[in-house]
Amino acid sequence: MKLRGGYNILLKGRPNSEEEVLCDPEILYLPLQSPRFNFSELCVEDGQQVAQGQILAKDPDNFFVPLLAPRVGTVRLQSVESHIVLENIEQKSEEAIADSKEISVQEKSAESKRKKLLDYGAWQFFYDAFEQSLPDPAKAPQAIILSILRLEPFGINGDAIVQNNLPDFIAGLEKLQSLIEYQPVYLVMPDTKSELTRYVREKIKGKAWVEFMEVPLRYPFDNFTVLARSLGLKRGSENPVWGIRAEGLLAVNKVLSNSQPYTERIISFAGPGVKIPKHLKTVPGYPIDQLISDRVTCEETRVINGGILTGETVTKKTKGIDSECSRFTVLCEHTEREFMGFAMPGFGKHSYSNSFMSLVRRKFRENITTDLRGEQRPCVACGFCEEVCPAGIMPHFIHKLLYQNELEEVEKHRIDLCVGCGLCSFVCPSKLELGKQFSDAHDLIREELHPQSSEPEE
Amino acid sequence: MKFLLKIFDKNRHHFEEGGKLRLFKPVFDATENFHFSPATRTIFAPHLRDPLDVKRFMSTVIVALAPCVLLAVYFFGLRVLAVIFVSYAAGGIIEVLFAVVRKEEINEGFLVTGLLFPLILPPAIPLWMVAVGVMFGVLVGKELFGGTGRNLFNPALVGRCFLAIAYPKAMSSNWINPVLEFPGRMTQYVTSLNTDAISAATPLALAKQGNWAGIPNLLFGNVSGSIGETSAIAIIAGGIFLLFTRVANWRTVVGTLGSFAALGFVMHLANPQIFGPVVWHLLAGGLLFGAFFMATDPVSSPITNGGKWIYGTIIGVVTLLIRNLTGYVEGVMFAILLGNIAAPILDEIIVKIRLRKLKNER
Ligand code: SF4
Ligand code: SF4
Repeated sequence: MKLRGGYNILLKGRPNSEEEVLCDPEILYLPLQSPRFNFSELCVEDGQQVAQGQILAKDPDNFFVPLLAPRVGTVRLQSVESHIVLENIEQKSEEAIADSKEISVQEKSAESKRKKLLDYGAWQFFYDAFEQSLPDPAKAPQAIILSILRLEPFGINGDAIVQNNLPDFIAGLEKLQSLIEYQPVYLVMPDTKSELTRYVREKIKGKAWVEFMEVPLRYPFDNFTVLARSLGLKRGSENPVWGIRAEGLLAVNKVLSNSQPYTERIISFAGPGVKIPKHLKTVPGYPIDQLISDRVTCEETRVINGGILTGETVTKKTKGIDSECSRFTVLCEHTEREFMGFAMPGFGKHSYSNSFMSLVRRKFRENITTDLRGEQRPCVACGFCEEVCPAGIMPHFIHKLLYQNELEEVEKHRIDLCVGCGLCSFVCPSKLELGKQFSDAHDLIREELHPQSSEPEE
Repeated sequence: MKFLLKIFDKNRHHFEEGGKLRLFKPVFDATENFHFSPATRTIFAPHLRDPLDVKRFMSTVIVALAPCVLLAVYFFGLRVLAVIFVSYAAGGIIEVLFAVVRKEEINEGFLVTGLLFPLILPPAIPLWMVAVGVMFGVLVGKELFGGTGRNLFNPALVGRCFLAIAYPKAMSSNWINPVLEFPGRMTQYVTSLNTDAISAATPLALAKQGNWAGIPNLLFGNVSGSIGETSAIAIIAGGIFLLFTRVANWRTVVGTLGSFAALGFVMHLANPQIFGPVVWHLLAGGLLFGAFFMATDPVSSPITNGGKWIYGTIIGVVTLLIRNLTGYVEGVMFAILLGNIAAPILDEIIVKIRLRKLKNER
């Protein structure tokens, strides 16, 4: 097992393990787009009354993964662009669950169970470990990677989830096994000797199909692609590798044991711009404005859907939490210009290099803003990007080749291995947007050099 | 500091498009961003960045050079400061000129070149030569290649090499005898006219005549030699700081010194009469300074780790061979320039090997 590079950013605003249950709002805004999905096929009409768990729309490009109504309410299709709005929300009640057409409690085959997960909103927690896309529920995988790690600042604390739901977690493992035949499940845990790891190990002793994998707590070693490669697994479209996280396992367990649609979400709301970073229990469509108000510390903030290194800025256009969202990270926008910052000792600044005096302090978490922290310059060949890169490629060379527009050479340098972790851009003293360049170039290569096979592998 | 920021804000329009002084925008920007970190925000993920920027990167080198400069002022007098000043001023003119013509930012890399260059010159060198040398180094060594980041050679060494070829006599005679007793020469300004302060030869030259300087002197630096190269202790202290901050790469340094020491040890065993002891050779001349501060220049050295090892080895071996087997007393400069030439080739080889390994990765 080889894990390369990686680096931890010690950032302020880590979520505590507290879980706040948000009251249902009066109105829900369900975005029709989320990072992986585009729910373009509508299944309801304007003004229709829907039940909890009813299918509102589907994504025809992703095995018809459904967008479920999180609550009972009235559908409005036109009122907000690219959203389905749900009005007159009824408070959650157990009976109001939509009865699905074919209630078959005891599915036998693994495949029919996967189909059920798809219809009941739990399949979206699965990832193709190499493509980051939704795997095909009809195909059996070669292996499953179940990770309880979230190393990018900040995600749901997998430890806390497992801790709070231990019986469900163990039961979920059984359920996970029933989705496959004999393929192995790799359970990825931190390499720290905690009470929790010991307990889980104890519980799983008899299950030969679960293999433990202990991983150092360094970002991005929780990335499914990085994990799959380090396990020596190979990319394959016929039998993909699945990745799933702790919260996904709980969803699987819920759906397969109660036969009810899964519409709850646990999201982490954290970052230096948040007053009390913690986990929130809510539903997709919760209004973002309502989520943010009172919870942030500074006037001008940047709300990021996802982690601080890979997430997308939430724009005014998005009104509610999308169905895939598991975390919001909030940063304060950079406003203060520092006087002679480069010449100061820098007791409060963490750096990948050792050139700031923060080294003499004890470990602390830093308050960082959206400051670029320097001017863009030509590459100074420091080599930091290569050191941190978990993919084992050479970002500075690829940058140079892109500058010279040598796409074929870029491809030879295996830009396709880049997992998009963003660490190279983070450490670069010349402030080059390496990660962004690479994802753009990757798309360009697909279009220009391989126009026939530009469709994602089926 | 609010008032200073206000001054910048008030005058910025003169330098923008259509302003009277728009040609000097690079100068204005450099001055402003020197005083206040820029207001730029990240646009893409990652939404936050490491605090290290090129300014800090280069300042770290300057901090690492401080001990050398201080000891040089102590041993050789105030003229050292004049040489540094001329180097910064003359080189700065070229740098600004190119920034204005190219409409690019002024690059901080010059702050390092402008200080490294005087430190490898004899202390009593005529000041006009300093100016000519640094201008040549920056112009030919850097700007003609397209500016910082694209240069093949270390610009300071190009300048020095030019002077060594154009004015060999001045470059091999203007040594100053150091003064050890407090306050050294700190109150003096020694020029080449001051004949009793001027010494004829450096320890390496004397060694060729069988006259070996004492190791404590080499360590402390009270021997004659180039401005910043005499004190082994100051160089090692600054050098280790530089390696620790990760601004310089340890592989180059270990490769250079290691290969030098290994080969030197063998040669000394073979013929102790001609070839001095390894430790003596390590401390004498410009080897340490070159290994820590010149060879490690990231732009002109290979960028792959494997390349750095080979590059360091080439420099160490070639230095030793030039020193011991040719008529030249010192070989570090040529060795590093040779290494610079080899650097892109070494990178290419190592990258080929790396790519072959990557090929099977899925
Ligand atoms: S974004 Fe890609 S190239 Fe950059 S460090 Fe991550 S994997 Fe490497
Ligand atoms: S981190 Fe930036 S400056 Fe350093 S080698 Fe990579 S691209 Fe160049």
